[in-house]
Amino acid sequence: MKQAFIRMGPALPLGLAYLTFFVAPLLMLVAVSFFADDKLTVMGLDNWRKFLFDSFHWKVVADTLLLGLKAVCATVLLGLPLALVWRGASPFWQRVLLFVAVMPLLTSVVVRTFAWIVILGREGVVNQLVLGLGLAAEPLRLLQTELGLVISLTQIEMPLLLLPLLSVMARFDPNLLDASASLGASPWRTLFKVVLPLVAPGLAAGALLVFASATTAFISQSVIGGGRLVYLPSLVWQQAMINANWPFAAVVAIVLLVSVSAVIAVIALAGRIAGGRVHGAAA
Amino acid sequence: MTLMSRRAALLGAAALGSAGLARPALAAGSVTAAIYPGAWEEAFREHVAPVLKRQHQIDLEMQGLFAVDQVAKFAASRGAPPFDCFVLDPGPRITAIDRGQFERIDINKLANKAQIPAGMADEWGVATGAQVVGIAYNPKKLPKPAGWDDLLKDPWVSKLGLTGFGTTFGTVSLIELAKVFGGSETNVEPVFTELKKVLGKVAAVGTPAAMPGLFQQGQCDIMYTNTQTVTTLKDRGVDIEFVAPKTGAVSFITTLHIAKGSTNIDNAYKYIDAAISQPVQKALSEAPYFFVPVNRGVALGAGLPMRSLDEMSRFVTHDWAKINPLRAGWIDRFNREMAK
Repeated sequence: MKQAFIRMGPALPLGLAYLTFFVAPLLMLVAVSFFADDKLTVMGLDNWRKFLFDSFHWKVVADTLLLGLKAVCATVLLGLPLALVWRGASPFWQRVLLFVAVMPLLTSVVVRTFAWIVILGREGVVNQLVLGLGLAAEPLRLLQTELGLVISLTQIEMPLLLLPLLSVMARFDPNLLDASASLGASPWRTLFKVVLPLVAPGLAAGALLVFASATTAFISQSVIGGGRLVYLPSLVWQQAMINANWPFAAVVAIVLLVSVSAVIAVIALAGRIAGGRVHGAAA
Repeated sequence: MTLMSRRAALLGAAALGSAGLARPALAAGSVTAAIYPGAWEEAFREHVAPVLKRQHQIDLEMQGLFAVDQVAKFAASRGAPPFDCFVLDPGPRITAIDRGQFERIDINKLANKAQIPAGMADEWGVATGAQVVGIAYNPKKLPKPAGWDDLLKDPWVSKLGLTGFGTTFGTVSLIELAKVFGGSETNVEPVFTELKKVLGKVAAVGTPAAMPGLFQQGQCDIMYTNTQTVTTLKDRGVDIEFVAPKTGAVSFITTLHIAKGSTNIDNAYKYIDAAISQPVQKALSEAPYFFVPVNRGVALGAGLPMRSLDEMSRFVTHDWAKINPLRAGWIDRFNREMAK
């Protein structure tokens, strides 16, 4: 008992802070969701029923999760090649690339989001280029579309994918690539059979962070996505802050938490299986 | 002996002096006011706090809270109010009155009461700023619209930026739009019917906070908003003009209230009095805040559709006691109708 306490001791302050400021409010959130009225006087399942038996709400859940998956796919498709380039670069260029990758984290997400209005707007940089080159007669509609939102989330969330991925890449033994090539594997085969399984844990960790962040990116979703794209975070905001219906807001918040956690668990499991297979084979 | 008595006299004088200096500060103390985060908080910190300190030696402590938060936080405090004063828009004000969260106000205790136009103070609170809502458009890209229904016609509709029932200004604008098509304060059905017909053409459906940015970037060139937003954008060099629709501009007031059970009532009155005083109201009505003043002694800015505050009684107003119970349903409906 005493030994366990000594072992756990250093984690105690943070653990207590988590209990007080995360677990306790979370339990309160669950409790609030079981009230039937917005003044929190009558208990009942009314708000759960209202959410669960309405197809519109399920569409919002699906749209939110899909948005996260699209952001993950886009960041992985762009981030993985960048990570491979980083792996092969000289130490100087590695530092430069790392700095460029991390730099967006140094500015506020609000600033980055509003910058995307300037880029994607009717009179924004992209449209000026498209119109200037004569690629379209009318400005493209990029803001307030899911495409525009995914594009901006890809940039906004990219550092979250790159940081864990690069840390795994840094430990990657380059001799393995030579070994694979000398055994006759094509570069593509090496990528899929050697590189990807080895970096899978980092990729999964990054994908997990991107997914969690993109599905809950309230500011980007509302500013870039606009009023016609409804996602769970804006539903929570509306119910809590405008309608003052805390029980329903609590229900939506719990659904967001559970659905995002479920997908995250799948991503983490996939990463562990891929990583475990390689490490199991190595052992 | 002489020396002693002189020293004693000096000490006594010093003690009296310091007591004299200390007394007003001890008696004055502080007042805690809930305030909207952002521009309101900045404006009150810059212009109200120094006046309270200078004139009454009162420290103004502010809690940045949106209207709904103020009502909720008060409800959660169970008899020990977390702040002495509320600042609220008409909707939450009605909710707070219903829930018994205000002390009654005796307007005679306010030195500036004569400067406040009729209808801007009642037994529950005093206005500290007004909002005038109408149509804003880019005169370089669009002809001047005449009324609310123009928003849904060509050439305006394809440049229209919409917001829903999430804000007070959005709600009253959509109600006015509904009225043009036969609706009323309690029936906004025509808005949904009419919007559905043109939704494909509408340039943007945004959150209220994003609208100024969308207008500035040319994503939309016409929207409904308040004069404050128009003047702020104009001040930044954006091509924008305010139009009072032919059925009348809408006005509503933001009010200050004293929290039920406050133990600081005298200071709360002084805070309210300072906030509505001529110098403070004048400062708040200028750049960068552009509040619509409530004090008759403040000259109105050029961007406002009235010459005097008393003219505001002609503007369209709404009964939030009727709107409040319906609003959550409208917000939900707007989500569904607009969702892609």
